[in-house]
Amino acid sequence: MKKLILLIEDNEQNRYMETYLLEKEGYEVISAGDGHAGIQKAKERIPELILLDIQLPGMDGYEVARYIKNSPAMSKTPIVAITSYAMAGDRERALSSGCDGYMEKPINPDTFVQEIRKFIGN
Amino acid sequence: MLVTTILLALKLSGELRKKRTAEEKAMEMELAKAKAEQADRLKSAFLATMSHELRTPLNSIIGFSGILLKELPGKLNDEQKKQLNMIKTGANHLLSLINDILDISRIEAGQMEFSMEETDISGSIMRISEIIKPIAQSKGIALYVENCDWLPKIITDRRRFEQIIINIVNNAVKFTQKGEVRISAKIEQENVKISVKDTGIGIREGDIGKIFQPFTQIDTGTARNHEGTGLGLAISSKLAKLLGAEISVKSEYTKGSVFEISLPLKGKDEKTYTSYRG
Repeated sequence: MKKLILLIEDNEQNRYMETYLLEKEGYEVISAGDGHAGIQKAKERIPELILLDIQLPGMDGYEVARYIKNSPAMSKTPIVAITSYAMAGDRERALSSGCDGYMEKPINPDTFVQEIRKFIGN
Repeated sequence: MLVTTILLALKLSGELRKKRTAEEKAMEMELAKAKAEQADRLKSAFLATMSHELRTPLNSIIGFSGILLKELPGKLNDEQKKQLNMIKTGANHLLSLINDILDISRIEAGQMEFSMEETDISGSIMRISEIIKPIAQSKGIALYVENCDWLPKIITDRRRFEQIIINIVNNAVKFTQKGEVRISAKIEQENVKISVKDTGIGIREGDIGKIFQPFTQIDTGTARNHEGTGLGLAISSKLAKLLGAEISVKSEYTKGSVFEISLPLKGKDEKTYTSYRG
C-alpha cells in the first residue's frame, strides 16, 4: 500500500516537479492548486502528509495549516511548509500556524525526499 | 510714535515668521521621517515579493535539472549531462545573487536576525576547507589549514560566521592563479584572529578601500572577468561588524593578499537579536 501525500502548490511546474520526485520514490501523490481545493481533497481522503506552499492565492498556507490542525479528523496529519519567502520570521510563523516542518524553496532535488521521509517514513 | 509702532510691528512679524519657520521645520522633519519609514516598509515588502517571484521559477529550473541529472526519466549522454550541469550552475549562481541581495537589503534595513550559540569555530573552519579544497585543487593551487584545530568555542551565529569564512576563502581561491591559500589562526588580546593568506593577484593600494563596497569588482587588469555577485565582501564585512568582529586586509599588488577576521573571544550574550541601523 503506497503512502498518500497531498501537495498544495499553486505553481504548475513546481507541482509537477515535486509530484514527480515523490512518485519516483514510491509515494502516491494528490495535488491541489489552492488552499480551498487542498482542504477539500484532504477531507475526501485523509493523507499521511501534507506538503504546503505558503504563498497561495486566496487562503494562504498559514490559514490552511490552522484549519487542518483545528479539524479533529486531520489534526494529527503532519504538515511540511514549503516557502519561497525565506524572510526573517517565516519559519516561526509556519511553525506557530501548526506546521510540523519547514523547507525553503528552491528545494534540493537530491535531498528533498529524504527530508520528507523524516515526517512520513517509507 | 508711528515709526516705533511700525518698527515694533515689523519686529513682531519677524519673530512670528521665525517661530512659524521653526514649526514648519519640525513638521517637515516629521513628514520626512514618516516618508522614510514608509519607504523602508515598501522596500521590505518589495523584497519579500521579489524573493518569492524569483524563487518560484528557480525552484522548477533547479528541480528539473536535478531530476534529469539523476537520470530518473532515463539515461543521458555525456553532452546532455554537460549542458544540464551548465543549467544547474547558472541557476545556482542566480540563487546566490538573490540570497546576497536579500542579505544586503536586510542588513541595510536593520532586519538581519542572528541566533547566537556556542560555536565550534575550529570545526567550522575544517568543514569549510574540506568543501573548498577540491575547487582549489581543480585550479592547481593548494589550500592549507594550519593551527586551526584547537580554537575555543565562541558565542556567535554559526551560520553567519561560516558565511564570512566561506566568502573570504572562496575569494582567495578565486583570485589566485598559482601557488597557495593558507588559513591559520591565533589568539591575541581577547580576540581570535583567523587569517587567510593567498599568493594571488593582490589589490592595488588605491583599490583596497573599494573592495568592501557592494557591487564592485576591482579591474583585475586581465581580460578575464571573475565570476561572483560582487556582494560577498560587502556582506561579510557588514556581518562581521554586527557580530562584533572585524575584517582587515593587507595586500601587495601582484604578490597576494592577507585577509584577517578578528573575533572577540567573549561574544555577545543575547541568544537572538536583530541588527539595528548603525
